Amino acid sequence: MEGVSYQRFPKIKIREMKDDYMKFELRETDASMANALRRVMIAEVPTIAIDLVEIEANSSVLNDEFIAHRLGLIPLVSDDAMGMRFSRDCDACDGDGQCEYCSVEFHLNVRCDSDQTLDVTSNDLRSTEPRVIPVDVAARSLASESGGFDSPDQRGIIIVKLRRGQELRLRAIARKGIGKDHAKWSPAATVTFMYEPEIHINEELMETLTLDEKTTWIESSPTKVFDIDPNTYQVRVVDPEAYTYDEEVIKKAEAMGKPGLVEIYAKEDSFIFTVESTGAIKSYQMVINAIEILKQKLDAVRLQDTEEADIGELTQHLGRGL
Amino acid sequence: MGYREKHSVETHNNHAKPIKSAVDKFALLPEFLKVRGLVKQHIDSFNYFINNDIKKIMKTNDRIVCPQDPSLYLRYTKISIGKPLEYVEHATEELNPQLCRLSDRTYASPIKVDIEYTRPNQTNKEYKKDLVIGRMPIMLRSSKCVLSGKDEAELAKLGECPLDPGGYFIIKGNEKVILIQEQLSKNRIIIDTDSKGRVNASVTSSTHETKTKTVFFMDKDKIYLQLNQFSKPISIMIIMKAMGMENDQEVVQMLGRDPKYGFLLFPSMQECRSEKIITQKQALEYLQGKLANLSSLRFEINKDDRVKKILINVFLAHVPQAKDGNFRPKCIYTAVMLRRMMDAVLNVETFDDKDYVGNKRLELSGQLVALLFEDLFKTMNSQVASRMEKAYDKASRSTPLDFIHYMRSDTITNGLERAISTGNWDLKRFKMNRKGVSQVLSRLAFIATLGYMTRVSPQFEKTRKVSGPRALQPSQWGMLCPCDTPEGEGCGLTKNLALMTHVTTDEEEGPLIKWCRKLGVVDVEDLSGEELHAPDSFLVMLNGLILGKHTKPQKFANAMRKLRRKSVIGEFVSIFVHERQRCVYVASDGGRVCRPLVIADKGVSRIKEYHMKELRDGVRSFDDFVREGLIEYLDVNEENNALIALYEHEIHKDGHDEDNADGQKSFITHIEIEPFTILGVVAGLIPYPHHNQSPRNTYQCAMGKQAMGNIAYNQLSRADTLLYLLVYPQRPLLTTRTIELVGYDKLGAGQNATVAVMSYSGYDIEDAIVMNKSSLDRGFGRCIALKKQIVVKETYSNETSDRIVRPQNEPRKQALDADGIAAPGQIVRRHDILVNKQSPRNKRDRITNPMALKDCDYAPSNVSYKGPEGETTVVDRVMLYSDKDNKMCVKFIIRHVRRPEIGDKFSSRHGQKGVIGTIVQQEDFPFSERGICPDLIMNPHGFPSRMTIGKMIELLGSKAAVLSGRFHYGSAFGEPSGHADKVEDISRTLVEHGFNYSGKDLLYSGISGKPLQAYIFMGPIYYQKLKHMVLDKMHARASGPRMTLTRQPTEGRARDGGLRLGEMERDCLIAYGASMLIYERLMLSSDPYQVQVCSQCGLLGYYNHKLKTSWCSMCKSGDNMSSLKLPYACKLLFQELQSMNVVPRLKLTEY
Repeated sequence: MEGVSYQRFPKIKIREMKDDYMKFELRETDASMANALRRVMIAEVPTIAIDLVEIEANSSVLNDEFIAHRLGLIPLVSDDAMGMRFSRDCDACDGDGQCEYCSVEFHLNVRCDSDQTLDVTSNDLRSTEPRVIPVDVAARSLASESGGFDSPDQRGIIIVKLRRGQELRLRAIARKGIGKDHAKWSPAATVTFMYEPEIHINEELMETLTLDEKTTWIESSPTKVFDIDPNTYQVRVVDPEAYTYDEEVIKKAEAMGKPGLVEIYAKEDSFIFTVESTGAIKSYQMVINAIEILKQKLDAVRLQDTEEADIGELTQHLGRGL
Repeated sequence: MGYREKHSVETHNNHAKPIKSAVDKFALLPEFLKVRGLVKQHIDSFNYFINNDIKKIMKTNDRIVCPQDPSLYLRYTKISIGKPLEYVEHATEELNPQLCRLSDRTYASPIKVDIEYTRPNQTNKEYKKDLVIGRMPIMLRSSKCVLSGKDEAELAKLGECPLDPGGYFIIKGNEKVILIQEQLSKNRIIIDTDSKGRVNASVTSSTHETKTKTVFFMDKDKIYLQLNQFSKPISIMIIMKAMGMENDQEVVQMLGRDPKYGFLLFPSMQECRSEKIITQKQALEYLQGKLANLSSLRFEINKDDRVKKILINVFLAHVPQAKDGNFRPKCIYTAVMLRRMMDAVLNVETFDDKDYVGNKRLELSGQLVALLFEDLFKTMNSQVASRMEKAYDKASRSTPLDFIHYMRSDTITNGLERAISTGNWDLKRFKMNRKGVSQVLSRLAFIATLGYMTRVSPQFEKTRKVSGPRALQPSQWGMLCPCDTPEGEGCGLTKNLALMTHVTTDEEEGPLIKWCRKLGVVDVEDLSGEELHAPDSFLVMLNGLILGKHTKPQKFANAMRKLRRKSVIGEFVSIFVHERQRCVYVASDGGRVCRPLVIADKGVSRIKEYHMKELRDGVRSFDDFVREGLIEYLDVNEENNALIALYEHEIHKDGHDEDNADGQKSFITHIEIEPFTILGVVAGLIPYPHHNQSPRNTYQCAMGKQAMGNIAYNQLSRADTLLYLLVYPQRPLLTTRTIELVGYDKLGAGQNATVAVMSYSGYDIEDAIVMNKSSLDRGFGRCIALKKQIVVKETYSNETSDRIVRPQNEPRKQALDADGIAAPGQIVRRHDILVNKQSPRNKRDRITNPMALKDCDYAPSNVSYKGPEGETTVVDRVMLYSDKDNKMCVKFIIRHVRRPEIGDKFSSRHGQKGVIGTIVQQEDFPFSERGICPDLIMNPHGFPSRMTIGKMIELLGSKAAVLSGRFHYGSAFGEPSGHADKVEDISRTLVEHGFNYSGKDLLYSGISGKPLQAYIFMGPIYYQKLKHMVLDKMHARASGPRMTLTRQPTEGRARDGGLRLGEMERDCLIAYGASMLIYERLMLSSDPYQVQVCSQCGLLGYYNHKLKTSWCSMCKSGDNMSSLKLPYACKLLFQELQSMNVVPRLKLTEY
């Protein structure tokens, strides 16, 4: 089958776009494409996260490893992550985090001297690189700059609580990484998609139902998919995407003795994506980065296929293991 | 505590089915636990010992008399126990539990006595107050403990956890629990059959002075008495005659008019007659001949007296003599015993059941410590007396005799300390020799600690292969937990108390007797033998003694109960009318199990809504309920006189059949407070246990004690040898009332994991689970292991001591601080040095100035970290303290943080354990269109055979809890009373939030992106991480250490041992014919050894390296030597045989 092309031209239609949330349709492609995009977003879009913690003093109730783990999970603004180097293949340093190309240094120095419990939060992290800061800090400074409403949660991401006399002093190095290595580098809070449902109501059969029967049938769906037109008393589809493929309505119709009352198919070639970001990268950037990385990966495969070229670029992304 | 809001929610939730007029009595439970608590039985019994029993013990042994001079005596006048403190070098130091735990001391108080004593040649008595005779370990939270009556803030100041139940002791820094001991009732008649199938009646008499066992048995229609003091069984009639009942007719009359009893006694009478025994004198003479000459040589007293003494002190020892010294009470008691026995012969149903809980007594720590103390007190007194005796002869003017000089406080101190710390109760007096009475309190999980406090250890040794005592007894209902028992040898024998069980302590009999008399109990002394069993009357027994008889037993019982409800007599006194035995049993002895029940009048609860409102408003306490006769405690026996309804509204339920319902209703005397209280603390953690197959609940009870989580609020300042903590423990989404009552919601041991029940890869067979790697990255199942290592700075006999010095820049000393001790926060690996210690080279010879030793006089004796290889651990804490010998000690707590790995064990709360089979990337995990991705995947094959429906309901309920933001409940049997959410309601909640009612979701494959064929049952389940982790278990070796004796590889992981190719494996290889493999495994890889054998004599010779020849030292020649390979163990065997004069000769042939 040499030379036959199965090339398709998928289309994306953006429905909703916010910094940390995005909903879009992906059409004219199949599940492999959609799933690849999802997987790359979760596991391979790089971000920056604290990876190395050097604790100078810690008299808090939580132990060093505990705090280090918590620090690692704080999402950092990683808009520059795509351009950064992985510290393991940084030429400028030995990967110990001293260089500007692959790492960002943070300092935390808090001591509680009051009788009240002191919360150590992401606000207390001092970054050496102003563009790489905890996401909640960035969001708040943005909110106060624009002079808009105050963020409801002013406290920041809590790291540990200190009592009088307790102290936490540490140096942390953030590095670029991907979600495959550790979940802290994953920019995705939620990435999911569903097949777009196609709902056909058999109007003739539907008309044989009484209004009561119609409402009970509609209520058999746990989500609000159908509705009754207040004027014509006809059943209509209000939100096909609310359908969760639970087949409750179909079962109900059968139980009512009306099989075939509704037919629901999944459109095999269109997907509705929901992307939520941790804040490390804007959700739309995440999608773009994911496509970029996917392209790089495909390039690597193609190059390897045709010219036996090195697959360095691919390995670079996949990390040590491949 | 917040029960109230939940109630409002619940009532709101249960709008579908209103509960008719029933008063929700749940609020009583927290109140009950406030007054009685989970370990109240321990604390009560110890308090009773400290405040009352100890005084009685002192009073019975209050005099020490010098054997030579009776005018020289010492008398105790008062005994008391002070505050916990310790005398350190002539200063006192107040103790608190946490201090004792950390510095390995005993939490004990001085026992102080006031004494008066005489001195020779002095007329006036000497008095001394507050003389310390020893130190008594103090039970935590008992009345003498510094923690009693303290609130949360005060406890925090003392470094104590407010949720810690107390009830244990701290001996040399170790927490020790004295387990509840189960025993057969003392002083009660038990009718049973012995191993030969003979009917026997036995009584174990127990008084303060002695403990004896009297057995009557029936052999070939004749009734005999068996007593250790007599060499042979004695016919019962002879005993009767010896006690002065010379007239046979009198005996028969005492048994009752009915001729059937007389017939049964007739063969015995005949036997007595054939022995020609008619008078008391003859009987006594006969008995003299039957005396077992155990100690007859020692006591050269009148033999006649001895028989009488035995009859008084040994035979039915608990029955007192009559005032004029005759045996009438014992005769009556014997008659009653005989009658009961004959009843059993005539009617099999009247046998007593030894496994019946009412025939059992629980011995608590107070009683056990009292036994021990009494023994030690007597020992001390006799020691004082013997010292006095010795000193009396040597006494001179310059050293006057003085009792004070001979009082040593270490007998009692050491005796108590030793017994509690080893658990060996060795009492010479009672010939008691029990092991394992006290055990180390397990601090593995908070629940394990609580579980220990309610554990009842069995009376039988565990090896007995009988099923009777192991079976679940109906009388255990509400008293002992039906679920919580171990698997294996202790199954059914080791039990646990239920939530509301109380164990009684002894109570004064005096007032009780007075009340009984007032209510018309006729004294037996005043009755003729015939009247004893008159058909219209019932006998009244008080604590196993015959008090008298009453003609209207029911009326008498009701009157007594009324007195109890009015708090005229103690709340724990039990009044039980036994119709068949025609007896009224009144019991006030200690060790009976009982539980509170709501009193109902003809099925109508005495507790009304306004009572509960007063309780909620805090103006009424649980004790008020008891005092006002709304609630009473029933013990197992009295429960037989009650008809107990589960719910008040249940009584009303069958309303359509009015007459019948009313008829039934009128018989109901009590109502349960809450049905779920039949379970214990540990089983109370299980949600919906009543939907599970019962063994699953039992499994969970065992596993809940191995779950990691939080141990106590002070867990990070404790110094246990091994402690496992969870990094992010959670409170279960699906809770039970018990969880809230015991504080498991504050000290959880698990996490709510989103579980998908589906098959995934092949790594989930046999209960393995598939884990989501991202969940692990985010902290799921992460745990901290804390280990302890102690270093002692030794001092030596020549007054030199070790020293800890500043380290030079040496290898493996990077963790050390300038003071020579590893610093907290330092990373240590195996063999890293923790303390840079040096010991003096000369430890024995006297040195003039120990302080002036030079550096060269010290040799390094560094202490290194003894952890496993390859583990990177951190010094968590370093504690310096001085131990009891005033040596400086350093305690290191070393921390290791672990994330779950393949092979770590997890379990849900339904006895479903499994190990991690594989860890999978999140992107490969299935996901729902809402973006929900499970934390772990469980194979559905876990369900059909286990039938843990409770787990499914937990999943549904937790899912609803997450969606609605309200914790859901799953208390046992809780659906009717609203303490468990119904599946119907849960499904409704799920549907309200757009989920399928059955808890199933459509999932997409994370690998292909296609929807999965089936809907997946998915939701949160509370998962526990169990202490078994691969890291502590994995082991492999190529070559390694060998045993010195046999030169074979060592055994066991701890010694880096080899893996044994055992007999069965060897058999396989033989069958297969892999001879070379066997040779390699058993010889080459084990202990090959080259030997020189003399083919002449067949014995082993040796190789002379100088002459380069082999030599047989037997034949004195080196001519016929041949060299061959043997296992070293074989050579060793030959040599050992030779040493025993057995000559093993090898016959060699050419091969």
